[in-house]
Amino acid sequence: METVRLARNAMATRFEVLIQGTDAVRLRAAGEEALDEIDHIDEHLSFFNPQSLISHINAMAATRPVKVDAGTFRLLVLARDLSARTRGAFDPTVAPLMKCWGLTSGAGNLPDSETIAETRELTGMHRVHLDAERRTVSFERAGMMLDLGSIGKGHAIDEAVRILRAGGVSRALIHGGTSTAYAVGRPIGDEAWFVAIAGRRGADNSDHVEIVSLRDEALSVSAVWGKSFEFGGHRYGHVLDPRLGRPVQGAVLAAVVHPSATVSDALSTALLVAGREILDEEAASGRSLVVLEGADGTREVLTLGRTTHISDEARQRDSFYRMGQTTQPYEA
Amino acid sequence: MKRDDKMDRRGFLRKTTMAAVIGISGASMARATGVPRERTREEETMACAIIGYGRQGREIAATVARIPEVNLVAICDTYDVMRKRAHRDAPDARTVGNYRDVLDDEDVKAVIVATPTHLHREIVVEALASGKHVYCEAPMAGNIDDARAMARAARDTPDLNFHVGQQFRADPQYLSVAKFIRGGALGKATLFRGQWHTKQSWRRASPNQARERALNWRLDPDTTTGLVGEAGLHQIDTALWFAGALPTSVAGSGQIMLWNDGRTVPDTIQATLAFPGGLRMIYDAALTTSFDGSYDLFSGENSTIMIRDSKAWMFKEVDAPMLGWEVYARKDRFYREQGIALVANATKLDAQNQDPTADDPNAKPPLFHALQEFADNYFYGPFEPSAGYRVGFEAAVVAFKAHEAILNNATVDINSALFALN
Repeated sequence: METVRLARNAMATRFEVLIQGTDAVRLRAAGEEALDEIDHIDEHLSFFNPQSLISHINAMAATRPVKVDAGTFRLLVLARDLSARTRGAFDPTVAPLMKCWGLTSGAGNLPDSETIAETRELTGMHRVHLDAERRTVSFERAGMMLDLGSIGKGHAIDEAVRILRAGGVSRALIHGGTSTAYAVGRPIGDEAWFVAIAGRRGADNSDHVEIVSLRDEALSVSAVWGKSFEFGGHRYGHVLDPRLGRPVQGAVLAAVVHPSATVSDALSTALLVAGREILDEEAASGRSLVVLEGADGTREVLTLGRTTHISDEARQRDSFYRMGQTTQPYEA
Repeated sequence: MKRDDKMDRRGFLRKTTMAAVIGISGASMARATGVPRERTREEETMACAIIGYGRQGREIAATVARIPEVNLVAICDTYDVMRKRAHRDAPDARTVGNYRDVLDDEDVKAVIVATPTHLHREIVVEALASGKHVYCEAPMAGNIDDARAMARAARDTPDLNFHVGQQFRADPQYLSVAKFIRGGALGKATLFRGQWHTKQSWRRASPNQARERALNWRLDPDTTTGLVGEAGLHQIDTALWFAGALPTSVAGSGQIMLWNDGRTVPDTIQATLAFPGGLRMIYDAALTTSFDGSYDLFSGENSTIMIRDSKAWMFKEVDAPMLGWEVYARKDRFYREQGIALVANATKLDAQNQDPTADDPNAKPPLFHALQEFADNYFYGPFEPSAGYRVGFEAAVVAFKAHEAILNNATVDINSALFALN
């Protein structure tokens, strides 16, 4: 049995795939094709690439309906459904608000209430019209923007997994920037892929909030790691609640396990925004975890959903993959 | 019969509507500037089929989905896994396993051929004989005889459009640089250089062994045109275009430096094309390193122009004459060099109150422009494609001779007689 590890930079992060099987040459070939698929999706969905389909939609959809391919249309319909399901906590139209608060550049900025109110009129999936018959997208107002960044990595991973399986791969772990991962089958000699969710940025192996077992399912982790900016003596977090148009900190970390990486990616973002508020209803669809932090730094970990895969044995493991940060000390 | 239909459509569009006339100029402008033109007859579509649904076929399907005038009605692939993928990607298009089913379909007006290169000839020649307009991926063929047969077939069916997927020729950024160079921006051209680097094995996997052999045609010495053909042809074609000449010889070498998996096709290659007057193009491609990706440099006595990722910069020599406009242009740093951004459509952007120094917000990938041109030619043509049979044939001949030089570690003459079609 052999293990092959490949990596590629895409979607402003590092994707990595670890594949196990009998023929290293063929495993690598399958992995390369899966990573090619991620490149292909990045080229079409990138918010920052002016040649991408998303940039084309953002430039044109307020003036006329924009025709898109079936795959992108399906993704937009799913994004609309997830936005409704999370009551707007996940919102792929939030980019104008991000810009308004200076969060796109990372510097931070304090807009006045009037500006926030005006900008909120440019957000919301209910203002994105999806015509299923013509397969077109149009915006209700000029200035609206779609940014699929908080769902794109999951979508790319789901499509890459489809390619891996078609190439005959039955054991693999693939992740994008350690924030969304999918486990194909189980690793050699183990019941599942064990993945640790790091408790803080740069945490060592012993500091994890949970070890999750994955088998033919995805895990997404969204975390703020204390990112904030100060303005007028007040400290603002980098997580924006699309429903309020203001930065909030619903949670410091949220993790979701789901059969679809696209869905887990969106739900972990929504849980980070809304925290406890929507945890109960979302947990019903899979395993979820939220870490809340009080003003004094004390932490509360809420774990909901079926937790049977998180065994005592798993908690004792010293060999696992780490999520929620950029290191990956997995030892096969 | 089909040709008559086509001519009727063209005649109708030409003669009956002023809007169509506006459309013609709009189409030309769209290719020249990248600005979306007014659609005059949205209900009119070109029914087309994609033959070959590998990675490039999928890219084409996703791209034509953005072009309202193109109606993708069929996708053909011999492999059922690809047909299933095609159905998922384009549920409105029917999927077939035999390309002749597409050619026999009178409703299909145009085909886009994206099969492995060595299979192009048979499909393209039959498609033209069936009265279909053809867009053929580059390189147009797997060897000189096939390319010549295809070019002859295209030449002998002037009522049908034949476009080769040398897509940079339709890209506004490349057209803009071509204009700069023709306007003397380089001064005397002294050296061209192209690079294509990636770290990939180029191998493909499938649970089906027979399918796996077919998928790996790029590593099969009997079918591949090598790195210089499959990747380098586009950059070599740009050099032929900007030099305005064909090379007279090519020196090449190739090695297997990393992927020792039983292949005989080099994973690292170098080629030097010699043009009349002494100009050289140095080209290197590698599957062994991704460092610095892919780009082209065109150097002259006054400046060097770099194109990468469909963007362009000019690096002026310190003793070069002032051009005037560069004072206002955006400057980007490249280590110790300062690149003057060459933004296609700057005048147009200025007129639209958009920042003329910023990148074009309406930019499209080169493939989009090439396929839009193919659609425009169907509706408003016939006009000479930016990459027609002559351009496709010449670039293919040069790439094949370069591949020959690389395999033999030799210098190979490129006799002008090779470019003759008769």
